[in-house]
Amino acid sequence: MRQIFYLIQKEFRQIFRDKSMIGILFIIPLIQIFILGNAVTTDVKNIKLVVQDQDKTPYSRELLRQFIHSGYFKINGIEEDYNKLSSYLDSGKANLVIVIPKHFQRDIVLGNKPDIQLLVDGVDGNSSGVSLGYVNDIMQNYQERLIEHLPELSLQIKNMHRVEAEPRFWFNPNLESKPYIVPGIIALILLVITLFLTSMGVVREKEIGTLEQLMVTPIKSYQLVTGKIIPFCILGLLEIMIGMGFVYLIFGIGIKGSFFLILFESLIFVLSTLGLGIFISTISDTQQQALFMAWFFMIFSILLSGFFIPIANMPPVIQQITRLNPLRYFIVILREIYLKGTSLKDLIPETLSMITFSACLFFAAVIRFKKKLG
Amino acid sequence: MLPIISIKNFSKSFGKTKAVENLNLDIEKGELFGLIGPDGAGKTTTIRTIVTLMAPDSGEIYVNNLDVSKDIRKIRSITGYMPQRFSLYPDLSINQNLNFFANLFDVPKKEIAGRKKRLFQFSNLEPFANRLAGQLSGGMKQKLALSCTLIHNPVVLILDEPTTGVDPVSRNEFWIILKELKSEGVTILVSTPYMDEALKCDRIAIMHEGSVLAHGKPEALTALIDNNIYKLTGSGLINKYIDSIVQITGILSVQSFGDSLHLTFPKLTSEQEINDKIKDILKQNFMLKQIEPTIEDVFIALVEGKSQNGN
Repeated sequence: MRQIFYLIQKEFRQIFRDKSMIGILFIIPLIQIFILGNAVTTDVKNIKLVVQDQDKTPYSRELLRQFIHSGYFKINGIEEDYNKLSSYLDSGKANLVIVIPKHFQRDIVLGNKPDIQLLVDGVDGNSSGVSLGYVNDIMQNYQERLIEHLPELSLQIKNMHRVEAEPRFWFNPNLESKPYIVPGIIALILLVITLFLTSMGVVREKEIGTLEQLMVTPIKSYQLVTGKIIPFCILGLLEIMIGMGFVYLIFGIGIKGSFFLILFESLIFVLSTLGLGIFISTISDTQQQALFMAWFFMIFSILLSGFFIPIANMPPVIQQITRLNPLRYFIVILREIYLKGTSLKDLIPETLSMITFSACLFFAAVIRFKKKLG
Repeated sequence: MLPIISIKNFSKSFGKTKAVENLNLDIEKGELFGLIGPDGAGKTTTIRTIVTLMAPDSGEIYVNNLDVSKDIRKIRSITGYMPQRFSLYPDLSINQNLNFFANLFDVPKKEIAGRKKRLFQFSNLEPFANRLAGQLSGGMKQKLALSCTLIHNPVVLILDEPTTGVDPVSRNEFWIILKELKSEGVTILVSTPYMDEALKCDRIAIMHEGSVLAHGKPEALTALIDNNIYKLTGSGLINKYIDSIVQITGILSVQSFGDSLHLTFPKLTSEQEINDKIKDILKQNFMLKQIEPTIEDVFIALVEGKSQNGN
């Protein structure tokens, strides 16, 4: 026990002796949360819109007004020449072009079906899909208002049996992306800090020769490993608390669920990153090698976590591979607790999977480390 | 009495390279024993195996009757090992390093302060106790490393080239400390590439290419040489005459030692005879003097003897 205590004390002394560590532990998460939280967004806003109104009647103007008032679009130009419209899409001055045909108002009044032409820039499929959804919403609203203004039509409609979907979005009613993205960023920070600190921390001792000096003392290898792990565990938990604090301060996003449940799940997750860190330290001899290895593993676990790319969109084989990634479960768990306030009872499948893989990774790494020490 | 370190038929290879081959050596309790030899002789491999950092491929090594392959932890608690390279925490202070190792070696809490005080007495590091280890001079680093290996009062102290890269004054101081420790009854095994340090040991073993060429008291080893050694110094550089000097009839070997040459002749050749021959070659003022053979001469004679036998 005494040896472990002094190993931990030594580790903390070393960490906090280094002034730049304070920056790494406190400033970097702040910057990451601030920048990533604002930058990584799936919201589609400020869609560049170019219109051609061939009708120029109150009805067509009303339609355009609705586009402007929706808040999603930015009118980037009004073009009279039909042949020039495609150049707006080519040059990127428009994501969306609307052409309101001649006799639009007349056709409506007469009960014909006027067609509105939409030209959509489909390069970013996700965004164009979302903007098309907005357009459909606006058109529907427009039609409902039309009906109110045409009494004879509205009477007919009232007699029709129409099924209308009235969606209500739970947990994140405005479908904002921040409450969804930000818990993921906390998970990433925890991954990066603990993975890099552990792998570098052990390899550094190898490099300067202190590991050998430790090995000629009578301490047992489990004491050595524990003395390495506990400080980084504590730092990881500290880090996640700092992260949650910043998220609250910067974005006003609080935790709906239990704070302690987050800490508990973090502890399980950190086991996997510490295990990976120790594993990396057994296969690298220099800090540079460790850095590259840690980077390699980090990229894979982030890309295969569902943070940027939804797992459901991946090919089935890759989807199976993501099941081995503890970060995948951890991000889901964090989002659930953050947004829904889910309790442990409903997180048991994810928690169990995470425990299984974290524990496997951790013990495999520790056994390998012990073997290496001889 | 049983030797405190006993090495029997020890061999160790790294891949195809045989680092140590069939080494036999006994080190008695309380002696200051030197492992002498050039880089690559197998000194570090031998030492690292004794301190249980490596397992022997074959053969047996016992430290205080404990088997290095089995009683690893027990051996570690009675030995102090100071590796060739400074390997303490550069970002911890002298005090913190000492406390850290004291605690890892399970030194009773009450005793730590007293032991540190005693170590400070010989190392003179007390005024710098709060300085970071990384900011110490080479000599101070060595003394701190030695202090850390002594904090648990080891029975055997094992030092791997402790003075390599250290200035001559610190080297000297370091050896004075070793002598003091020896007088307190600590058995010391030290490896060094410096032949002058060999003379300060009670007994030495000369290692070359993984085996011991000779071992015994330094004086006894120099006595092995039954030829005469002459030291030749001149007013200028005389190294350039080596090629001509080698041609002198009867000469056994010429070795360059800084600005002088050591010439080896059989006892039969008279000094006058040699003097005359050198006069012919050098054509300048020079001084020829018969000297006692040094450890270097022994080493060179042994290595040459070995390679001649080998051929």
